[in-house]
Amino acid sequence: MNGAQTASDPSLAGTDDSKVDRACLAELSSLCERYPIPRGALLLILHRLQERRGHLAPSDLKLAAQITTISPAEVYSVASFYSMFRLQPAARFPIGICRNISCWLCGGQKLLDTAREKLGIDLGEATTDGLFSLESVECLGSCDTAPVIEIHGEYFEHLTPSALGTIVDRIRADKDQSLQALALERRTGARKEP
Amino acid sequence: MPTYLSTHLQRRSALPLEDALSEGRYRTAERVLAEKTPDQVIEEVKSAGLRGRGGAWFPAGTKWSFMPKELKGPSYLVVNADEGEPGTFKDRQIMEKDPHLLLEGILISAYAVRAETTFVYIRGEYLDSYRAMVRALEEARARGLFGRNVFGTGRNIDVVVHRGAGAYICGEETALLNSLEGRRGEPRPKPPFPASHGAFGRPTTVNNVETIANVPVILEKGTAWYRTMGTTQAPGNVLFGVSGPVNRPGLYELPVGTTAREILEKHAGGMKDNRKLKAFIPGGASTGFLPASMLDVPMDPESLKAKGTMMGTGGLIAIPEGVSIVEAARVFSRFFRHETCGQCSPCREGSAWSDRIIGNFTRGQGRRSDLKVLQDIADGSVRKTICVFPEAYAGPMLSAIKHFRAEFEALAKE
Repeated sequence: MNGAQTASDPSLAGTDDSKVDRACLAELSSLCERYPIPRGALLLILHRLQERRGHLAPSDLKLAAQITTISPAEVYSVASFYSMFRLQPAARFPIGICRNISCWLCGGQKLLDTAREKLGIDLGEATTDGLFSLESVECLGSCDTAPVIEIHGEYFEHLTPSALGTIVDRIRADKDQSLQALALERRTGARKEP
Repeated sequence: MPTYLSTHLQRRSALPLEDALSEGRYRTAERVLAEKTPDQVIEEVKSAGLRGRGGAWFPAGTKWSFMPKELKGPSYLVVNADEGEPGTFKDRQIMEKDPHLLLEGILISAYAVRAETTFVYIRGEYLDSYRAMVRALEEARARGLFGRNVFGTGRNIDVVVHRGAGAYICGEETALLNSLEGRRGEPRPKPPFPASHGAFGRPTTVNNVETIANVPVILEKGTAWYRTMGTTQAPGNVLFGVSGPVNRPGLYELPVGTTAREILEKHAGGMKDNRKLKAFIPGGASTGFLPASMLDVPMDPESLKAKGTMMGTGGLIAIPEGVSIVEAARVFSRFFRHETCGQCSPCREGSAWSDRIIGNFTRGQGRRSDLKVLQDIADGSVRKTICVFPEAYAGPMLSAIKHFRAEFEALAKE
């Protein structure tokens, strides 16, 4: 590892679309300070880098390696272990469908069938416009609101096939809307505050 | 019946610090730090009989007492919020609705185990929990409740909120520690145990969210009060999570030892659409299937052990008549095959073989002799690997065969 380079060195920022600005670099480096050794921050750094483009490019892994002072091979080994890290370009809205027990008992399969039909794709595939993909995710810990799907960490609970269709339509109509707001809107509508 | 965990869990968003303070939150922590020694806190938690709510039900005070008393360098408290056991959703609710309950528990627990830094390891999927904990911690720090010289005691107690990235195995405490260090979440051989060689090679105690959330009330109201709830061997309340097609799925805070029948029928309102209960899973996927005839079992670690299963996380899953247990077992075998970390070959191969065999049954391609093979796979992997993952996949598979053998045989081609 080149000891002369520091995380704030702009030459580490990659090229073109992969460019990480100074503020982001400073933020990533500061994450390391929370841990006794820099690599403790690796998962947080990878999450942060993935947020930018939806996946981790080789340049992201290299940058993470330099910030945490470990080898890029080791970063790859770590990144490939965890199911949330994507090492290939992903659809803009990956729809994660829980297929575990509680969702399965409460209509999760029907939801998956609806999604397949609505999007014309199968699990593990993406729509040709790159907008949606369908993924199987493990138990999301929202079993009392089954069935549940997840898009970029936002949960959509008590989901009926028609509500899933509405969510897809809403995203199609406004690709830049906040998923957090959309999820909150559903939740507030679907659940009454006691 | 007194409750102390679920007071605010019906909220839509986190209880703000001001409201928490006006209810007396952090007062117990302040008093404990001023008046008690760490060892006195450990003794109280021990005599209260608090046991770990993450699934293993190990006595928390005993675990704490393994930590070194003489400090030569840092030691850590790690809060296991990698809630991934299918059917479990309690820790998420605590973090998202009542984060200051957890934070007050952390203050007292970190003081007891002499840890200046606490890492809260939140599973990657729990983005809302992460946001809620980060926000609550900021509020508490701004009030001087965390950081340097907490409550003017001269003690430094701080928290780092960490995120996982999607791996069930990280709920295993040594896998979690590797993950916290920015490594692959592979369990470590034990010994050394975390109390001597844990996070970053330092003495570490790992406790589940709900376990830590039990601590303030023990110190506030005392051991005798705490022991009025639950069983002699496992005092206190549990956040039972009920899911599946019941009328009122959700969390129910009830004493340890409440029967599964009371939880399912009285609290969760019984099965939806008057369906009949066929089977239930007492405490998350790895505790396996029990037939509806066992519904009167008290939900405590000892009673469930006597029935050949475990208390687990208290995540109770109701399975109605009409659902194939073979198909349900396949849901789990697919899950465990996906989640094995792969470092021990008996587990890596065993989880995949069993999934393939159970899959064969679901397609009517199983053989009667395969049931013996599934038992052999369990025997060949349980207690033969670094961690207890084989126990986790063997649980649902073997209990399905034990209680619902006829369903497998009906699907066998010979």
